[in-house]
Amino acid sequence: MILRSALLLALAALPLGDPIKTSFSVLAGYTYEEGKALPKEITNLDEQVVSISGFMMRETPGSNPVNQFLIINEACGCNGTPKLNEVVFCTLPEGQTMEIKPGIVSVTGKFYVGEVKEEGVVVMLYQIDADVVQ
Amino acid sequence: MKPLHVLCLLAVTSPLLALLPQQDPPTNWAVEVERACTAQRYGMRLAAGKKIAAAGAAAVPALRAHERVVGRNQLPATLLEAIADATPCDPEVVALLREWATDRDFYWRATALRGLARRAPKLPESADALRALFADHVADPAWLCRVHARLGLELLGTPAADQPAETDARAVVKLAVLLLQAGRVPPLQPLLDALDDERTVLADPFGPRLAREAFDALKAWLGADHPLASGEAFTDRGSGVQALLEAARRKSGQTLQRPVPRRDPAVPFAGGFEILSCRNGDQFVCWTEAGELHFGLDGAVRVALDAAVWQRLSAARAALDWSGGLGAVVCDNLRVRWAAGEVHHKVAPGALPAGAAAWFEDLAAAVAAAGRADLAAVLRVGIGQFRRP
Repeated sequence: MILRSALLLALAALPLGDPIKTSFSVLAGYTYEEGKALPKEITNLDEQVVSISGFMMRETPGSNPVNQFLIINEACGCNGTPKLNEVVFCTLPEGQTMEIKPGIVSVTGKFYVGEVKEEGVVVMLYQIDADVVQ
Repeated sequence: MKPLHVLCLLAVTSPLLALLPQQDPPTNWAVEVERACTAQRYGMRLAAGKKIAAAGAAAVPALRAHERVVGRNQLPATLLEAIADATPCDPEVVALLREWATDRDFYWRATALRGLARRAPKLPESADALRALFADHVADPAWLCRVHARLGLELLGTPAADQPAETDARAVVKLAVLLLQAGRVPPLQPLLDALDDERTVLADPFGPRLAREAFDALKAWLGADHPLASGEAFTDRGSGVQALLEAARRKSGQTLQRPVPRRDPAVPFAGGFEILSCRNGDQFVCWTEAGELHFGLDGAVRVALDAAVWQRLSAARAALDWSGGLGAVVCDNLRVRWAAGEVHHKVAPGALPAGAAAWFEDLAAAVAAAGRADLAAVLRVGIGQFRRP
């Protein structure tokens, strides 16, 4: 089931150029402060097709398949809550869902950089339209 | 007073109301706690958690009321982290942190312990009580509890004595990082050793994570003495480690050695499992095709099972049924992973299928029969948390 979902996602992927491989060493390699300019090496990734590896995490508790999820650098939150520049918010194509996988996954898709606010609060810094999750 | 006079008085005085000091409406802490716990957006939960943490005593009644209704383990890590890292030292906050830190079944008790450790130097009237609390946890099964207990003792100026040296690489690095962040300079060798760590366990690259943690801590501590200007990168790891080593030597005056590379053993593992438990402590077990079990994050403890026993265990393992829901993982979890059948699952406490629980019991019995009753006993405790009631 999980394998089939991953395969479907891969098949559904739009034609992609060679993705830029990035990592949390880059994305989280600076101290994020709200409203301050982000490093150039980060903003250069905006709207590029990017590939990043990490652990899947639900944004809200539950056990059902998800359309949106987070990618973080560590499996267990025991070692500190990820800061906003330590989280990539992933969205699968509309209508698609998948189970949260254990272990490390690689997510590829169009990457967006920038503060997203809701009710005056920064809720996201990095987003990706997840075309491929392996 | 005639109505006309009243109207005149109102006309004259009402503009003066604007001159009165404006007061913000009081914060509804129950709403903020609800938002910190259940907001759909992660960022919203983070922000609400920080607001609650900064409020100190004012938000404590709402926190207590919320945990009474939903249960303590429904409080999210983000909220606990925010409170631990905040500065308020109100007695109500300290009392709450103490309750959380001493609740063995609370997922985030280690975080609460960190909150107490960071506040300890500012609470001279509670120093003895906190010292006793930290001393109770320096040998805790959960590595983060051990780290935060040792941090508290260090910050109180009474480092843990007569304790066995910490052997968990994560704990050794974390304590050094936290001390540096607190303005103390610990022995830096553990951080340098971590810089060349590439080890993995069940495909989880814990070594590179430690390397990153150590690198960031050294970079922040070195500041202007860091060998690279901002934005530059080392050309390769070897030269980078050497440059950091020399900079750390100069700034600390410590005798520091170049780290020995840490790599996975040249053993082809066929599978294994890990238990991440803030309650009972973590366990890591990997095995070879031939039935040699490697225990621990570094796989240093090895137990060879009888070939026939291993064959029977392997056949039983291949037949395990993992369907039917493995629970919603919040913190503690059991992860199983093996190549045969491409099995890879995470199991929440109380959600281990009966067949799998029986298999782990058979495994523990085999380990005991191989002469390691101590490891078998620890394994049984670890698995016990995940058995279905």
